[in-house]
Amino acid sequence: MQQVFKIPDSLKKNTEYTFCPGCGHGVAVRLLCQAIDDFNLRENAICMVGVGCTAFLYHFLDIDALECPHGRATAEGTGVKRINPDKFVFTYQGDGDYAAIGMTESMYAGIRGENLTTICVNNTNYGMTGGQMGPTTLIGQVTTTTPYGRDEKLNGYPVKIAEQVAQYKGTAFSARVSLDSVPNIIKAQAAIKKACEVQIKKLGYGFVEILSPCPTNWKMTPEQANEHIRENMMKEYPLGVFKDVTGEMK
Amino acid sequence: MKQELIKGNIAIAQSAFDAGCDSYFGYPITPQTEIGEYLSRIMPKNNRAYVCCESEIASINMCIGAAASGGHPMTSSASCAIALMQEGLSYACAQELPIVIASVMRAGPGLGNIYPSQADYNQAVKGGGNGDYHIIVLAPSNVQECINFTHKAFYLAQKYRNPVFILADGLLGQMMEPASFIEHPYEKIDNSSWVLTGAKGRSSKFIRSLSEKEAQHNEHVYKLFEKYKKIEENEVMYDENFTDDADLIVVSFGSLSRNVKAAVKEARRQGLKVGSFTPKTLYPFPTQRLRELSRRTKKFIVAEMNMGQMINDVIVATRCEDVRHIGRPAGNWLDIDEIIGEIKTTLGDVYAASI
Amino acid sequence: MPTMTQTSEKSLIIAGFGGQGVLLCGKIIANIFMLNGKKVTWYPCYGSEMRGGAVNCEIVVSDEEVTSVHKQQTDILLTLNDISYNRFLPQVKDGGRIIANTSLIKDIKEERNIEYIKADITDKASDLGNIKVTNMVALGLLSTLFDNVDFSHVEEIIKDMLPKNKADLVELNLKAFKAGKELRTERN
Repeated sequence: MQQVFKIPDSLKKNTEYTFCPGCGHGVAVRLLCQAIDDFNLRENAICMVGVGCTAFLYHFLDIDALECPHGRATAEGTGVKRINPDKFVFTYQGDGDYAAIGMTESMYAGIRGENLTTICVNNTNYGMTGGQMGPTTLIGQVTTTTPYGRDEKLNGYPVKIAEQVAQYKGTAFSARVSLDSVPNIIKAQAAIKKACEVQIKKLGYGFVEILSPCPTNWKMTPEQANEHIRENMMKEYPLGVFKDVTGEMK
Repeated sequence: MKQELIKGNIAIAQSAFDAGCDSYFGYPITPQTEIGEYLSRIMPKNNRAYVCCESEIASINMCIGAAASGGHPMTSSASCAIALMQEGLSYACAQELPIVIASVMRAGPGLGNIYPSQADYNQAVKGGGNGDYHIIVLAPSNVQECINFTHKAFYLAQKYRNPVFILADGLLGQMMEPASFIEHPYEKIDNSSWVLTGAKGRSSKFIRSLSEKEAQHNEHVYKLFEKYKKIEENEVMYDENFTDDADLIVVSFGSLSRNVKAAVKEARRQGLKVGSFTPKTLYPFPTQRLRELSRRTKKFIVAEMNMGQMINDVIVATRCEDVRHIGRPAGNWLDIDEIIGEIKTTLGDVYAASI
Repeated sequence: MPTMTQTSEKSLIIAGFGGQGVLLCGKIIANIFMLNGKKVTWYPCYGSEMRGGAVNCEIVVSDEEVTSVHKQQTDILLTLNDISYNRFLPQVKDGGRIIANTSLIKDIKEERNIEYIKADITDKASDLGNIKVTNMVALGLLSTLFDNVDFSHVEEIIKDMLPKNKADLVELNLKAFKAGKELRTERN
């Protein structure tokens, strides 16, 4: 009998997954590990772990990993990749890590065209510290530091990360995907694979932004959270492939 | 060995290359920019990594990445830009990563001035990052030591899995004097047990600084301090002159120690019982030796081009009441006559007291 | 006044503006001191200090390891333009010597107890057909101030320092060096 579904080899089997119920991180990590398995990269991969809800990633992945200071994952990935050009190097970061505290380092990975892959999970808040306003928090969204909703006059505007990354000449692939539904999860899997593939082919920087539910800090049920992604987040953050130098994904 | 006229900055850059530096990450800042410029000419064409970074924050983090995956990285910078690296340095100590940092001091605080200074003693030795940690700090006082200490920095970094500073100053970085490049005199350290290479044929490993439980964290820091103890036992370097019968010892480091040695020699010629003491490692500080000396000698002058930083370590080491500071923030080094003047004032008190 | 320190150290400042080859001139003479078995340091002005066009370097030569690479007072000043002349003149020791490029320094009052050696250095370089050898004319003149130093290495040093594609300039530089030496002879 043919096995059609299994836990990826890149995931640890006997470990406790500590993400909140309904959180998108678990799905995102699984998709990433599936892509790494599909390309047979586990034994050649080094993971740059960001800070925040992503920080315990090294407990879940059966992959060599380096814990990075907040925001610095792409810089550390650059250091690894430049002396190990044949290793598969990827960063796994949240939106606050990637696009606030680490914005400069993140931008320059694309600007230099580093052969790295970044998975950036966007849940519009700082989850680990209990739901504060982050760079992608929606206008009007209530967080613990925007108790009356994000006001653009006080807090400025949400950052459109995937569109921005697509601007850099050194970026080979940039897309935004979502985990709100099964069809979208399937599309997310394809985008993550593409972001890995461009690194393997040394085409430049591969980037995927993942819209991901955070029911705990949004104070919603998992179902409401997915609905919120569809109704509110996608209006600000449209899904799509913003750059693909291989021309294969639309 | 053939002597050449070599600039301090170039001495550090070429010696880093000779010591096996396989990756350089940097951002320009006076007075050390020539280190990066020089390496940009030789690193890429020898198939070694060189990145013009977007900031010193990026530089130190790229060093961390390179070190964690088996590299021998280096960055160089100065003062207000070394300040930007403090987060990364704390992580590198916690994660036990071998990184060499050349710090060529200029004046501060703030943007300060490009003139040479020694005001970053505390920054290097005490650190500005969070937590309990130590960085090994080597302080050359001439161009030949810039060469020798750079080789040593790469060796110590690997031997102890720890960041190492080469703490020079603008004067040393910019000056030229006769010196000889050397072949790397140290053995290669096997790092295969800990570096990240991809989990091929083994279970995965990670390098981190975060501990989830109190006991686990304390255990990690205790382990770091076991290592620091070994460093303190084995790696102290200093230089002393005329200390045997000295009533007064002048302590100084780096390029200023040249003036101090000359002043002490001149004071001896004039019949004054003075000695000089020059720590070559600022961490580990030669506390033990200074304490031995303080059994006989009760007066110390600490000469440094800052407002009084190393003096605190000298006070702790000697436990003497009369430890005086002579210095100024930056610019013209204390000259020999100024140092002799301070020696005479201090000794005048000694001799007056003994009458 | 503290007792002045006895030391064999001699300080030399070379100063002018960008393009006059000040730093190179200093490096060449520092190399010559080294090849004569002396201890020597060369220390330039650097960074934003140079942005105004003024350039200088200080050479300290000694029989023992040089102490301070920068002295409050200098024994010899070689100055190629009026700005640097005015700036560094007060630093020259009593009894010291100054070489002034009278092509560009017009107002020299010989008021101090120092030896004034005046020569039209830039004009001499122009006569040789290339103003860029000003520094070599200056070096030639400077060499006459050091009785016990062998300057015969100057040719190999120039060859070492000139880029390969400018090897044809060796001849001209040596000619300029020689012409500089003769400037002193002409005067005395």
